[in-house]
Amino acid sequence: MLSRFVRFSAVNTALCYGAASILVLAMFAGPLWYAWTSTIAEGRTETLVDDADRLTNLFAAQGAGQTATAIGTQVGGQPLGIGRIVVLADPALNVLAGNLPHWPHVTIVDGGMQVVTLHINDRSFRVALLSRRLPGGYRLLVGNNVDHIERLGTLALYGLIGCAGTFLIIAVIGGMVVRYAMLARVHVINQTTAAIVEGDLSRRLPPLAHQDELEMLTQTVNGMLDQIEQLVHGVRHASNAIAHDLRTPLAELRYRLEELALLRPDPEHTYTEIDGAIADVDQVLAIFNALLRLAEIDSGARRAGFTAMDVARVAVEVVEFYQPLVELHDVTLTLATSGRLATHGDPLLLAQAISNLIENAVKYAPRGSTIAVSASARGGQQIALEVADQGPGIADAEKPKVTARFYRSDASRGTPGVGLGLSLVASVAKLHHGTLELGDNTPTGLRVTLLLAGTAEGRQSVLA
Amino acid sequence: MKLLLVEDNERVATFVSKGLVEAGHTVDRADNGRDGMYLAASGPYDAIVMDRMLPGGIDGLGIIEALRKTGNRTPILIVSALSDVDERIRGLKSGGDDYLVKPFAFGELLARLDALLRRAQDAHGETMLVAGDMTIDLLSHKVTRGGKVLNLQPREFKLLTYLMRHANQVVTRTMLLENVWDYHFDPQTNVIDVHVSKLRQKIDLPGAPQLLRTVRNAGYMLSTDN
Repeated sequence: MLSRFVRFSAVNTALCYGAASILVLAMFAGPLWYAWTSTIAEGRTETLVDDADRLTNLFAAQGAGQTATAIGTQVGGQPLGIGRIVVLADPALNVLAGNLPHWPHVTIVDGGMQVVTLHINDRSFRVALLSRRLPGGYRLLVGNNVDHIERLGTLALYGLIGCAGTFLIIAVIGGMVVRYAMLARVHVINQTTAAIVEGDLSRRLPPLAHQDELEMLTQTVNGMLDQIEQLVHGVRHASNAIAHDLRTPLAELRYRLEELALLRPDPEHTYTEIDGAIADVDQVLAIFNALLRLAEIDSGARRAGFTAMDVARVAVEVVEFYQPLVELHDVTLTLATSGRLATHGDPLLLAQAISNLIENAVKYAPRGSTIAVSASARGGQQIALEVADQGPGIADAEKPKVTARFYRSDASRGTPGVGLGLSLVASVAKLHHGTLELGDNTPTGLRVTLLLAGTAEGRQSVLA
Repeated sequence: MKLLLVEDNERVATFVSKGLVEAGHTVDRADNGRDGMYLAASGPYDAIVMDRMLPGGIDGLGIIEALRKTGNRTPILIVSALSDVDERIRGLKSGGDDYLVKPFAFGELLARLDALLRRAQDAHGETMLVAGDMTIDLLSHKVTRGGKVLNLQPREFKLLTYLMRHANQVVTRTMLLENVWDYHFDPQTNVIDVHVSKLRQKIDLPGAPQLLRTVRNAGYMLSTDN
């Protein structure tokens, strides 16, 4: 239970702060304590030694009697055990003068300082004593009551301990408070996430009161959920479209084969139908392959094959590739480039993208019209690949839909193709960290712009 | 030609084998990696058609790598259902000479196989290509037919050269797309046909025997027999 409690980072942090505080306190208080006590002790020792020396000299000069008198004067009226203590005793330890009723019952060591507890008249006192042996076996005791010092010391110690204890308690309570507060917010996140996992993709994490790290996380997670919701809807839509677009040729195939099985026509007719069946299967395979390609592109794996390349050069090659076809349709294909356009990408994918755009344009371009391809530099090192036709164009309402998988506008039903061309162009754009824009050409037609990030190789003038 | 087919799917193997025999080749078959390795190594074969996914401990690429390590340079056409660009590159890197994705049209397989067989036989470093009364000087890029110089654009020249190198063999649209334009996708439209048609207009002038033929359901062929 305790270990589980301590595992929470909030509690750990709080305890660490508490321990650090106590450490700092010790580092402050320790030397101070030491300095204080040793200064006091030194001071006291000095005084007592002075006093002992004075009395020792007096004894040596004028004998026990005078010394006793002097002691009596010094400490005569003093209450027992308070302040200075001076005792002169004979060799038999009978007190001759001084403010103790009898020689202390504790062991007195000659020469050095000792702090002992004296019990006098049912009271006890803490005293620091200095003992001397005088000529003739007489004993001299000089000391100071240290009760008040020690009490002060004890108070200080209790104070420090209390301080440390307070730090610890604050740390523990603080840790618990933060933990519970954080747990409460995490609990909210958990609840929402659980609902999302259950399938309710529309749920979002509620925004939190204050702008801190958890709020940043909330916003990021919500953004991710938006993206996921979009992808899932995309997949659902694609599955429906796939189901329809694959079923059609497969159904064709089935009817064809079943008709053959039922009617058993002559070999000539049969082989014609078989050729048709192969064409149906090829249609299905083409859809599969196109979908696989799209999936491969969308997965981002193709980025591993990126290389330094010239977009303008790819445009030139693709336009050249389509020239004969376009001529056949009595359409003009023009290309405008402005020098080398360096980027980091996949030349084959970009070629395929431009190819798809040109093929789409050819499909809808009326005889005698122009398809204008251009590869140019835009501000901020951007490269713009544009294909503009003079066909019927796409209505504004439809523009956002056309890049969806299998989307085919009503105008295009009946023409060859499976509706994956623009999807591929959009996917290639995205793979290259670019965007696809659909606009209108003047006076009519569609203008498709592929915007890519160029690299800093620069704009050298002559095309290779 | 003597061919080895290593393919574990019975139906595909029979289909391909029959077609190849009909085209005049002899075909040995193996349906697993171990036997395939053994046959390929003992050989000799003029070409091998190798499936990638094989049972028997070693797969197609493994066999190819092992063969190349021993200095075996037999042309190998890899067939596989793995269509990713990366897989294609892997196949070619391990020593394969061409890569065909399943399912394929038999005509495609045959055309590519013929191209591999021709490539192995050809001397390299020739400077002239001749087919019928047409000559290509590869150094000066001059094309003449019946003594008359033909004016071709660079791409048309490249297309004609490829067809000439494979004279009297079927060349599929995919092969043209890959070798003349270096593209690996299928255009929706018949753009290749238009290129070939334009070339034909330039080289097959009225009155002269037709060299550039269309082979139905397969592709094109530069043919010198009339």
